[in-house]
Amino acid sequence: MKRALIAALATSLPTLAPHAAGIPLYPTGPAEDSAFVRFVNATDAALEIQAAGSQAKLSLPTDKPSSGFMPVAANKPVKGTLTGADRRSDVAVTVKPGEFATVIALAKNASLVIKESPDDFNAMRASLAFYNADPACRQAGLRAAGRNVGIFDGVGHGQAKRRLINPVAVTVELTCGGKPQGSPRELGALEAGQRYTVLAVPGPQGTRTLFANDALIR
Amino acid sequence: MSLSALAGLSLLILGESHLAATGSLIEALHDDLVKQGAQVHSIGACGAGAQDWLAKKKVDCGGDRVGKGKAVIRGADATTFPIGELIAADKPDVVVVIIGDTMAAYDKSAFPKTWAWQSVTALTRAISATRTRCVWVGPPWGKAGGRYNKNDERVRLMSTFLATNVAPCDYVDSLKFSKPGEWKTTDGQHFTVAGYKAWGAAITQALANTPAVKEAHAK
Repeated sequence: MKRALIAALATSLPTLAPHAAGIPLYPTGPAEDSAFVRFVNATDAALEIQAAGSQAKLSLPTDKPSSGFMPVAANKPVKGTLTGADRRSDVAVTVKPGEFATVIALAKNASLVIKESPDDFNAMRASLAFYNADPACRQAGLRAAGRNVGIFDGVGHGQAKRRLINPVAVTVELTCGGKPQGSPRELGALEAGQRYTVLAVPGPQGTRTLFANDALIR
Repeated sequence: MSLSALAGLSLLILGESHLAATGSLIEALHDDLVKQGAQVHSIGACGAGAQDWLAKKKVDCGGDRVGKGKAVIRGADATTFPIGELIAADKPDVVVVIIGDTMAAYDKSAFPKTWAWQSVTALTRAISATRTRCVWVGPPWGKAGGRYNKNDERVRLMSTFLATNVAPCDYVDSLKFSKPGEWKTTDGQHFTVAGYKAWGAAITQALANTPAVKEAHAK
């Protein structure tokens, strides 16, 4: 089903067209960089995303709220519909070459798109991002739990920050306006070469965190 | 470390057009490694990037050579082969990947780093999933301009990118083997026979000193 959704979203990925002569002239790269989109369910109920013009669906249950990043055609609108028990909302996002877009489904049919153009690809360290998707959490931050060591700070609503960290086990604590919010979250042992995101999202008891592996759906 | 670390090792070498023509690495490097006692299978596919080795893909030219046999140079019937199938068939001690020029986007103003990351990690993960050691040989200096618009700045960027993104494969930095423009090319990117002999000899020496080859030799 994921493959069908990817096919529906990736309507016209860049193609390469070599010419012939001698050692035939071949392209040394794509016409434009890759672009990706993923969906995150930050509500308290299961959701599905359905690509426009397709029957392909992707489930976003609350215990696995994030999809992987799916390759899409750059600079072309990616359209879909988020559906749930009491929800039906259209989403559309256009992603530039080299961009990773995250569509975050929020309560009351709302959604938020946060985009990154990362430049930190590194197979020897782990990459951790922090997205703030809760307007109630001002100047959001993330720090190593129990050690008061800041990892991210001053992240405004709708903003993202990313950095490379050592591939070790990490437990983080969310801060809003410099004050701890909620319980620490164990991220587990982060692996070298892998990319991750902690998202601050609205919750019934105040801002809460979600944790996503930024793996690509290949 | 002497070259003796290569003796007895089974090497699967795959790469781009630098391994696909008579007089290229499919002869120079392959011969050097065979002389050191390695069992070598070299496959080249013109224009193939890293991700093209995850599935069979038609290319415009290519080459295939096993052991002391002659290189089979192919034209329009050339293809890449899925890396998993190659490893299952050859059971190499070390996979050597020689890819860089096909992914540097020399004729584009921006380096497609996201695409390159996607492609490179797809191949390194496919190799590491088989628990096979690997070495990635990066692009060498060429002559600025030519048919491919190869240029020193982008070669350096491509090499730096690969150095930080091919782990768990070891990285061999070909830029250390020569100065820009030192090895003569036919088109700015592909070397004369003398250039390929120099590059092949340097790769052979560097391979013998990689952790992957040392570990495989000690096994």
